[in-house]
Amino acid sequence: MAALGRASSLLSLLPLLLVPAAGAGGARWRGEGTSPHLRSIFLGRCAEYSSLLSPELRDKNCTAIWEAFKVVLDKDPCSVFPLDYDLFISLSRHSIPRDKSLFWENNHLLVTSYAENARRFMPLCDVLYGRIGDFLSWCRQENASGLDYQSCPTSEDCENNPVDSYWKMASMQYSRDSTGVIHVMLNGSEPKGAYPVKGFFADFEIPYLQKDKITRIEIWVMHEIGRPKVESCGEGSVKILEERLEKMGFQYRCINDHLPVKLLMCVDHSTHPDCALNSAVTSTRREAPPLCAEHGASLFIPFLVVLASVIQL
Amino acid sequence: MADHRFRPVSGEKPCCDISKKAQICLCVVFGLLVVVIIAVVVGIVMSRPPPQHQEWKGAGTTAHFYEIILGRCYTYTQIVRPELGHKDCQKIGKAFTNAFLSKDPCSSTEQDYQPLMELTNQTVPCDKTLLWSKTNELVHEYAWVQQELFTLENTLLGYMADGLRWCGDPGSPEMNYQSCPDRRTDCSNNSVSVFWNAVSKRFAEDACGVVHVLLNGSVHNTFDERSTFARVEVFNLHPEKVHTLQAWVMQDIRNISSDSCSDASIKNLKLILSKRNITFTCENNYRPIRFLQCVKYPEHSSCRSKI
Repeated sequence: MAALGRASSLLSLLPLLLVPAAGAGGARWRGEGTSPHLRSIFLGRCAEYSSLLSPELRDKNCTAIWEAFKVVLDKDPCSVFPLDYDLFISLSRHSIPRDKSLFWENNHLLVTSYAENARRFMPLCDVLYGRIGDFLSWCRQENASGLDYQSCPTSEDCENNPVDSYWKMASMQYSRDSTGVIHVMLNGSEPKGAYPVKGFFADFEIPYLQKDKITRIEIWVMHEIGRPKVESCGEGSVKILEERLEKMGFQYRCINDHLPVKLLMCVDHSTHPDCALNSAVTSTRREAPPLCAEHGASLFIPFLVVLASVIQL
Repeated sequence: MADHRFRPVSGEKPCCDISKKAQICLCVVFGLLVVVIIAVVVGIVMSRPPPQHQEWKGAGTTAHFYEIILGRCYTYTQIVRPELGHKDCQKIGKAFTNAFLSKDPCSSTEQDYQPLMELTNQTVPCDKTLLWSKTNELVHEYAWVQQELFTLENTLLGYMADGLRWCGDPGSPEMNYQSCPDRRTDCSNNSVSVFWNAVSKRFAEDACGVVHVLLNGSVHNTFDERSTFARVEVFNLHPEKVHTLQAWVMQDIRNISSDSCSDASIKNLKLILSKRNITFTCENNYRPIRFLQCVKYPEHSSCRSKI
């Protein structure tokens, strides 16, 4: 969930330096160092989430949650495993309202805007164990006790680093606790593909979805205003995702440029032709495949889409 | 206990006709008596019930107030606006609580908050100030989405205090978590109201260029002379720095009526500003924010037609 935590997709954005093994400016690792005042931010966020946002969470003991978390700060920064956060997660987990789960890839800011501080949806960053770690970084020094404020390992440095293991554990738990209609927001303008075949959603969320507690999965492929439509529903990596979900036995539906989210994107591009409201509405209706998309009947769908548009006109 | 047996007494006879042993006994008994009396007094003082906090009609201090403001201070200065990374959040936290702890929560003054305000001084770029009145949810959604304009709650101090409640008690060093004064039914010079008046005033004083304000065209008094916007912010804009106030008047998307910019209260605002030599412009249903409203009602007709 953290901009830093989603290492695999963001690493490509970090400037790659001449020395493959070292990070920027002679630092040991490629990732950002431990966030200053980590403990205060941690406790403050925990207290705030518990007391302001969710009255029923008042029994959460933030000090105990911190104590459970900080054991990883004593471990070798390349030997921190998801299960090291087991106690932390069990103390901080709470239920997620039905139908409110929102998974995503490559659109952090849009997701947090749309989620409206957990009022509309509850993505991982609006769950206690997601909120606490969002945008933070932490690790022990390699050969000494004490935190490393210069740099921390990313997945390119070593797999079992503190931040990635945290988000893996958090993602797995979030999936396990999600029920009802599951929503996924993907970025159809991402050049590498809307659905990263190796990523947090693919590896640590989908496998942990509880089939018996889920009614269906709704995929929204959003295209950035004024940017190319690299992939849409039924194409490229999105098709791979659809096929995977079908194989797993999930009912699903895919929508291009889900209107409420599209309208949100238009706030910042109000004069762009894509945001002339008439066209935004009609393009969504034309491209939305009917519910039987999961049967993958490729000839049947265009016929139904045409029929649907004709009926709606 | 001075034992006057040992004091050199020249030629004086001992006080009473009693033996040395008896004198020692008496001294010891006297000493014990004094100790017992002191113990009883201390016991009474200690066993008195702790001074009760005053009872007010409003909700008490937010639970974990101090941890929350400290955490927010660090989040803001390290992550949201890292250019403020030099700010000392420990000092800021202390200055905040010192402003109201052990003080009468109905006699709060702006001076109480001066040290805090000095530590959290922050420059908002010109043309980026966004004021608001009766549009709390909408304005902050907008500020979050487009990230360039600053509402008061997007500045360090506003961010720290947003949504929180606090008050102290003259008889106690603790925060009063049970209740705090309500502005209307208890007193208007309460710790929280005085804070927001003070920071709003500074926010307005520091503004420059074009200042924006988001108003609610669907309520009775769009420009309300009793609001903080009217009482504090409008009057503290500096005409030599602020040349224009641009109002965006948003109407509830489900109930769009007439032109809100022609509303009587808006005309009043225009008059007040012209007397202060500040140009006033007004726009109904500013398009970017209309999109934001549409997110909640995507099927509504105004979200379908071209504006």
